[in-house]
Amino acid sequence: MTHKNNKIPFNEDNYTHNINRNNERKLDRRGFMKTLVGAAGVFAVSSLPWGGVAAKELLGLGNKEYPHKKIVDIKSIPVGHSVDFKFPGEHDDAILIRLTETKYVAYQNACTHLRCPVFWEKEKGEMLCPCHHGKFDVETGAPTAGPPRRPLPEIEVKIEKDAVYAVKVKRYEV
Amino acid sequence: MKCNFNFAAILVILMLNIVFTQKMVHQYYFENYVTAIIYCFLNLILFPIAILIYKQDQKKA
Repeated sequence: MTHKNNKIPFNEDNYTHNINRNNERKLDRRGFMKTLVGAAGVFAVSSLPWGGVAAKELLGLGNKEYPHKKIVDIKSIPVGHSVDFKFPGEHDDAILIRLTETKYVAYQNACTHLRCPVFWEKEKGEMLCPCHHGKFDVETGAPTAGPPRRPLPEIEVKIEKDAVYAVKVKRYEV
Repeated sequence: MKCNFNFAAILVILMLNIVFTQKMVHQYYFENYVTAIIYCFLNLILFPIAILIYKQDQKKA
């Protein structure tokens, strides 16, 4: 192998043997390029955890099952009306809206902007956060106006024996 | 200056790294997880590209 440092006398301009001061290694163009490539590597490595956490969220590993909870009897919520409840914890406010005879939607009603409670505006047919006039689409929970950028977390409901039950909190959908 | 193109290419890669990282973090917090993963992947493949350019530059000299 003919390496530049295998010659005798070898080239003294290298990392391990730079006794000769005039020949001391300075940061040349290629050395700087190497640093830049290293920086690209740091970027690559540091973006790994973000991808990992995002993948975890996508695969639903963070999903939890909560015990089913009765919200309200069907006969006490007319079409177009809403009722507030707590799910899954005692301090997680949520809202159930009856859109048609058979269609119910439920969301955690803390606004995704600054967590003000979101109200159901029956006349306008939209969900309104009164703090900064954020509005949400009632069908999907997606933000339609105002400062909020993320959808309201939807709660899956099921109807059983003339009552509405909260089953689980869905992942946010985009 | 010879090999100026390679140097510029690596600078561009570093710029893209910054942009992609910014986008990735933002898309993560906006809960667009697929987009976040795409930007993560782009960030990852920029590194081998940078290495390739560096090797090519070494070969030239």
